[in-house]
Amino acid sequence: MKKLMLGNEAVARGAWEAGVAFGSGYPGTPSTEILEYLVKYDDVLAQWAPNEKVGYEVAMGVSLAGKRAIVTMKHVGLNVAADPFFSSSYMGVNGGLICVSADDPGMHSSQDEQDNRLLAKAAKVLMVEPSDVEECRWMTKEAFTLSEEFDSPILLRLTTRVCHQTGVTITEERLTPPLKRFVKDIAKYVLLPSNARERRHRVEERLRKALKFGNESDKWNPVFKNGKKIGIITSGVAFGYVYELMNNEASIMKIGITNPLPVDRIRKFAESVEKLYVVEELEPYIEDTLKAMGIKVLGSELRPHTGELNLSIVERMLKGSESTKVTVDLSDVKINHRPPTLCPGCSHRGMFTVFRDMGLKVMGDIGCYTLGAINPLKSMDSCMCMGASIGMAEGLDRFGGEGVSGKTIGVIGDSTFFHSGITGLIDMVINKSKATIVILDNRLTAMTGGQVHPGTGLNMKGEEAPKVDLVDLCKAIGVKRIKVINPYNLEEVKETLEEELKAEEVSVIIAKAPCVLGFKVKLGDVVEVNVELCTRCGKCIRVGCMAIGEKDGYPTIDENLCNGCGVCVQVCEPKALTFKKKN
Amino acid sequence: MNIVNIMLSGVGGQGILTSGRILALAALDRGLDVKMSEVHGMSQRGGNVDSHIRIGENVPSSLIPRGGADYLISFEMMEGLRYLDYLKPDGRAIISKLKISPLSSSLKKGGSYPQNIEEIILKKAPYVKMIDADKIAKELGDIRMVNIILLGVLSKSFSLIERSNFENAIKQRFSPKITPLCLKAFERGIENG
Repeated sequence: MKKLMLGNEAVARGAWEAGVAFGSGYPGTPSTEILEYLVKYDDVLAQWAPNEKVGYEVAMGVSLAGKRAIVTMKHVGLNVAADPFFSSSYMGVNGGLICVSADDPGMHSSQDEQDNRLLAKAAKVLMVEPSDVEECRWMTKEAFTLSEEFDSPILLRLTTRVCHQTGVTITEERLTPPLKRFVKDIAKYVLLPSNARERRHRVEERLRKALKFGNESDKWNPVFKNGKKIGIITSGVAFGYVYELMNNEASIMKIGITNPLPVDRIRKFAESVEKLYVVEELEPYIEDTLKAMGIKVLGSELRPHTGELNLSIVERMLKGSESTKVTVDLSDVKINHRPPTLCPGCSHRGMFTVFRDMGLKVMGDIGCYTLGAINPLKSMDSCMCMGASIGMAEGLDRFGGEGVSGKTIGVIGDSTFFHSGITGLIDMVINKSKATIVILDNRLTAMTGGQVHPGTGLNMKGEEAPKVDLVDLCKAIGVKRIKVINPYNLEEVKETLEEELKAEEVSVIIAKAPCVLGFKVKLGDVVEVNVELCTRCGKCIRVGCMAIGEKDGYPTIDENLCNGCGVCVQVCEPKALTFKKKN
Repeated sequence: MNIVNIMLSGVGGQGILTSGRILALAALDRGLDVKMSEVHGMSQRGGNVDSHIRIGENVPSSLIPRGGADYLISFEMMEGLRYLDYLKPDGRAIISKLKISPLSSSLKKGGSYPQNIEEIILKKAPYVKMIDADKIAKELGDIRMVNIILLGVLSKSFSLIERSNFENAIKQRFSPKITPLCLKAFERGIENG
């Protein structure tokens, strides 16, 4: 039966149909929904890991147990999991193992645009790339067989427009994978240098075997023949654009297994056409291989090197101009940006208001609170990668000099702290840093949609689970100064920061309040404005709340949006803002 | 058969993705191919959100090129204006009369909300239907019905998918408890189409 599915849902479905026993991962757009769909199948154990590296390693253990496993992450997550990813390539698998890398061309919700096809090549693992929803399902399913057949983890490389594409797919029944058990095999699973040197040959052997398979496979690497004049080689989401535009006038080769690239098949195809193009997003990954083979090909010189492709770009690339023209001219109207903002009632708002007003140097991190960098809060001075706030705060504080040292804080969310902040804090302790770390503890991984984490006390299914206590954890690694504060009390926030910044040792301030969106919290009565008292200073507007509008310089409150957090009430010096008493 | 392109736009939290899903389900119910593309994540926090929906016998790709939309359905006036250049020369816009001022307007950064936005939209695009969907939803007693009302408006001039396909999609997507209200909202949309 045909069903409508999200690409990520189809990946989960494919894994389930393949008889997958286990799924792990760490939330990250655009990968998050895969595990959230997988957990709905009762015959699969799905669980969030504290980070991608751990998730990968647990999945590898499941593979050794002889069961099929999948681990999901966004592209930058694979950087975190790179260590086990590269080494597991030498070990190979027992039960099939798939690692999903959801890349984000166009950086819709990421800090970089890395093309993880290059990582699959570097790690010498097999890579599979679906181009639409139906392929998400069957390629995931059959990739488990490839994994077992070629004794390789599989990198299932997706991109935003595949993950978050909704389309039609058929569904099939769940199959029973080959029955396997853990087998002691020191030469394979213990990567001592002497063993690894032997495994190194196996890796090359496996790639040769996989190459032969890819060269011969019409299913994975199909050719749509249509004349000799133009040939186009493509893969992933780019295939859709190419097929739609050129199906009637060119021969098209779609590559489903993109590592190892089926070079003999490609050469044969190249020889069968007069003019050859490669259409791919981001890096000239396929193109470079062709050029190294001495094949004349057009590709990256005809397209932008950054960002996503779309029909217009591909049409310009292949036909020189676009058939779809923009006829509505908006160049003469000013349309304001509408960037995302912290939710009304968010516990981060007051914190960043205080950071700004105190003029602190804030080393930030990845999460909702990164929005603290946006106008009007503008109180974040860096955001690099998961967990970086802590190490960077230590470094900046130590060498910043006047006005910086002693005024530097690291700000990190609780989920990000569990993910990769703990080791940074240990570094601060053992190397006697004096900087202050603020952990924003809202008990969820909020930015990706409110997933549970080690501090939530629930597992993915919503069942009670052990909870890691942040205070105990910080104590255990040797932090002596730990303060737990209420982020809605701006006076308390300010006083605690002043005190801890003065301290001659590491301090941790834990700002504790549940995510209002994730836990559906209603904080208090809505706020009202007394225009008689208002001096139009604009301080309330500069806390950056969607519930606060502006008319003739006076603030207005949207009662449907106001959560009653009282941050605006506290910054209002003339006391023109007050909580509206219920009748 | 040509592919029909429908662009949805609005502000995060308005039910745009749900609306797209119902439209896609209706297309599937009609026996057609459909692809939809959307961006999750950052867009959920009050930012602008869009959803591309493409329907036809065979739909290979999922993004609508600028200038290629047969329909634009916007849940908010400024987001309607922002996406107006997605329309084909003979494309139709269905725009909800709601105005949500972005924070940047309150901060006086980048100008305020366009005062005469209705006029601007009508001047820029030839086929525009503006509708106070929020008012109708409030009359129905549930503000969340806006997305269904707008689909009703669309279905009035949308020959590709039958009314019954939309109704089946609504029944599939919602619980039996809320379905009758949704069907009523759809009906009100058609009346106002």
